[in-house]
Amino acid sequence: MVTVNLKINGKQYSEETEPRMLLVHFIRDVLKLKGTHIGCDTGHCGACTILWDGKPVKSCQILAVQAEGANIMTVEGLEPEEGKLSIEQESFRENFAQQCGYCTPGFLMMTRYLIRNNEEMTREEIREKLHGNYCMCTGYQQIVDAVQDAQRKYFATKK
Amino acid sequence: MYPKSFEYLRAKSVDQALQYLKENEGSRVIAGGQSLVPMLKSRLYQPTVLVDINFIPELREVKLESNGDLRIGAMVTHYDVIENSIIRENAPILSSTAENIADVQIRNRGTIGGSICEADPSADYLPTLMALDARVVLKTSESTREVKVEDFIQGPFETVVEDGEMLVEVMVPSNKSNYRVEKYARRKADFAIASVAAIVSLSKDGKVTDARVATGAQQDKPHRLREIETALKGKPSKSVDLESIIGPATEELEPLDDLHGGPEYRKYVLRGMLSRILGDLLSGKEAR
Ligand SMILES: Cc1cc2nc3c(=O)[nH]c(=O)nc-3n(C[C@H](O)[C@H](O)[C@H](O)COP(=O)(O)OP(=O)(O)OC[C@H]3O[C@@H](n4cnc5c(N)ncnc54)[C@H](O)[C@@H]3O)c2cc1C
Ligand code: FES
Ligand code: FES
Repeated sequence: MVTVNLKINGKQYSEETEPRMLLVHFIRDVLKLKGTHIGCDTGHCGACTILWDGKPVKSCQILAVQAEGANIMTVEGLEPEEGKLSIEQESFRENFAQQCGYCTPGFLMMTRYLIRNNEEMTREEIREKLHGNYCMCTGYQQIVDAVQDAQRKYFATKK
Repeated sequence: MYPKSFEYLRAKSVDQALQYLKENEGSRVIAGGQSLVPMLKSRLYQPTVLVDINFIPELREVKLESNGDLRIGAMVTHYDVIENSIIRENAPILSSTAENIADVQIRNRGTIGGSICEADPSADYLPTLMALDARVVLKTSESTREVKVEDFIQGPFETVVEDGEMLVEVMVPSNKSNYRVEKYARRKADFAIASVAAIVSLSKDGKVTDARVATGAQQDKPHRLREIETALKGKPSKSVDLESIIGPATEELEPLDDLHGGPEYRKYVLRGMLSRILGDLLSGKEAR
């Protein structure tokens, strides 16, 4: 067993883990943060996307022991305060950007990253940057709507 | 899916990593893990020891040497290759290549060293690095050697890396000539069905002074298409008949046959790409 020290959603954790445990399992099964999903377990679908030092990565493609010292944000960390939706969550709700919702945590984490780290994105650019996230239900139109909407809302807070 | 159990060693320096590799038979380096973790999960690889090189700052450095060579650390991520201004300025074709790899998330984690060591016949970096005449620096706890990327790749997923050895740097000669790097895939994040990296320089009076063309996703390893290069060099760019060059030069290729595409299809796509890309470069059209 190896001890990992890491920060998730602002909270410091120190846990024992087997080296072979994947970060996504560590987040879900050890820390009981069930918002991060496992879709494919092969690095393709993006349901397990988290932010690692602010940048999106797929947590099924990383070992938990490798997260020593990392600063991670999962979907649970989006809410600005208990019970209040973030810009991203609000935009997904208002634009009906989910059906079964299984892919949504991954898309929300991408949205958090993309709207803050890009100039105003066209629909084409948004689609391009979301290549690593699959949605089996929506057909993506509303997801692109939601990302655009979220970026507009985010820029409005900066004015 | 869970990998088989292994021991995990976190190296803090290159020397320590090399020591770990030497002391532990059956050990393997883990870089970005974007190719390795799936292999561990499917248990195609069952290393006894994993040596993690993510915590070695010196492997993330990019430097420009006085002779014009870029020295790129093994752990420089695909994201960094796109964003790093030294690379963008001195080897823009390499930055453009990284943009073609996988997706945003994988690019944040996967590394140039890991991609080269994986030696996937469809990896995007390989044709570009071959066209650039790039070399890799390999180290053991006792010795250092430099190998051309072309010689480093032996076959599908096979390299010259020996037990106890690690790739520490990639040496890339600066090259700011006009270029194209393209991959064709069904979905953008997929591995290529055909890929081309080409660099062409023209003199003021329109003669081809340098031509480098490499392809991936065709054979068991990416390679230069030297017959095409020779046929172009020294020629006035306006009078080149590309079709008469591309046909024969690709005749002997025996492309891969896998779920992404059959041999005939891959060759067909490759010829179309070569014809368009080289046509553009010979007419002096700048990239983007
Ligand atoms: C969904 C998906 C899509 C992808 N699409 C593409 C694509 O379109 N184009 C493309 O080119 N690639 C693609 N990849 C692969 C990706 O680029 C990987 O990042 C890369 O192949 C491996 O780099 P890594 O740092 O993750 O290496 P790792 O996975 O950590 O290592 C790969 C192998 O190299 C060895 N190794 C790593 N570093 C060293 C070193 N310094 N010295 C010695 N041995 C070493 C490891 O032991 C392992 O065997 C994709 C991957 C995924 C999961
Ligand atoms: S579960 Fe990680 S990418 Fe699908
Ligand atoms: S809403 Fe069902 S997979 Fe996206």
